[in-house]
Amino acid sequence: MTVRVLRGGAQTTLQAAPRTGLRHLGIPSSGPADGLSMALANRLVGNAALAPALEITLYGPRLRFDLDACFALVGAPVDATLNGDAIAPHESLRARSGDVLDIGSMATGARCYLAVEGGIAGSAAFGSVSTYLPAGLGGIEGRALREGDALALADPAATTEGTRTPPGLRVAIPTNPALRCCDGPDAGLLDAGLRERLYGGRWRAGLRADRMGIELAGERLLLPSGGQMASAPVFPGSLQCPEGGTPYLLSVDAQTTGGYPQVLQVARCDRHLVGQLRPGGPLRFLARTAGQAAADLRDKLAYFRDWVPDVDDAL
Amino acid sequence: MSDAARPPPGEAFGDDQLRIPAADAAQAQALADALRAQGDWLEVVPGLACVVVRFDAAHVDPPAALARLRSRLETVSLPAAPSLGRVEIPVRYGGDDGPDLAALCRRLGVTRSELIRRHTAATFRVEMHGFTPGFAYLGGLPDALHVPRLSAPRQRVAAGSVAIAGPWCGLYALSGPGGWPLIGRTDFELFARNAPDPFPLKPGSQVVFRDVDGCAP
Repeated sequence: MTVRVLRGGAQTTLQAAPRTGLRHLGIPSSGPADGLSMALANRLVGNAALAPALEITLYGPRLRFDLDACFALVGAPVDATLNGDAIAPHESLRARSGDVLDIGSMATGARCYLAVEGGIAGSAAFGSVSTYLPAGLGGIEGRALREGDALALADPAATTEGTRTPPGLRVAIPTNPALRCCDGPDAGLLDAGLRERLYGGRWRAGLRADRMGIELAGERLLLPSGGQMASAPVFPGSLQCPEGGTPYLLSVDAQTTGGYPQVLQVARCDRHLVGQLRPGGPLRFLARTAGQAAADLRDKLAYFRDWVPDVDDAL
Repeated sequence: MSDAARPPPGEAFGDDQLRIPAADAAQAQALADALRAQGDWLEVVPGLACVVVRFDAAHVDPPAALARLRSRLETVSLPAAPSLGRVEIPVRYGGDDGPDLAALCRRLGVTRSELIRRHTAATFRVEMHGFTPGFAYLGGLPDALHVPRLSAPRQRVAAGSVAIAGPWCGLYALSGPGGWPLIGRTDFELFARNAPDPFPLKPGSQVVFRDVDGCAP
């Protein structure tokens, strides 16, 4: 009683709740790079916001259901078919035993989420089944899916068919995202000119982009740090600025400490959008105070909470 | 605790983090352990010269979080720095295993064997875990071996790489990006992911390095 992997896709991993409280041991958070999209997918099939689901990156897997199950896709727009017929996102759909789900390419954004009613079984490591590829932790043998894998459903059921996300809550993945940010601990290194470049510059996501972080391109930020800063804690959403001038925006698999200056921190309300940055795609940073960012977070959570009661876990 | 030993008040940054400066890595470890034991925070992470705590911004305002931290810092008592056993780590220096060794020798004006002799003569202390699972920050690098980190990080450092940067020696348990110059590589398992105790090195462990080639019969 499984879902058979006929093609793994570019990088498809099982993700669930992040690992928390372990960064002092060098163990990163992991979990979904875009937790809001994953929560919306899980909601459609009656799962908890961070029930184990597949995170699909840029080009998706081909899967054969060997049992009846309801599933839903949410996130970056993607060409997907069930037995060759196009299917819609934001809807709980029923697959019958033998059906083949084929998830193709994403033209905007970088990730979408496939939730299956009852959740997908994975192996836990350090308290979570989220996959952390660099150390091979969690998920399916700690790696991305590949042809021949068999995914077991944790609690197979097919009762949610036809559930749809209300139209107002179908978040569009922005093609030119503006990420709300607060000053990082080393923002004092920015003079007026550097601050203008950081917040007014035409940044792009570089080609070195993964769940650990995204190298930025389009501008350079040369900071007067002297190259001798003591390694300090960093987090998903931290922007690190090596002396070479190419900043690095950290994502969910972010290392736990780093010695490069941190000039900004993407606010929690928009951290999920880092997971949708696409190599080559544009992005902007918007300066916020901590108080504004806290209010933005409360507003965003309130907006989704009626539909996804446990959205706080995912954002 | 006495005013002299009391950590300075924390500062907020980002929208869900507070940072407390620390005198050194050992004080940061002690303060982080004490704050973590109080159970107020999502994460309590020491750096080499600070501690950062993360709070749940969905339910706690930044000013309230800072007030709570400052009140906790009034009463916190710091545990003594541990001193643990000695671990010998075999290293293959230079070549493909330590691709920056030759350039560092030129920069420091020392021969390869002199650099290795100084690195193997020192006794290091693990000051901190961090970066990625199993990475260890080791204090005790001789002054003569202090070099800056790379201005742009490498995209891929091999697992087991031994690196130096500033006053630190670092051990990369996993392959991945890294910004420290590499002098050698070890087969010592730094992160035993399936073992009951995955971290053979701990803050307080003493570490010495052995030159594998130098010891060949």
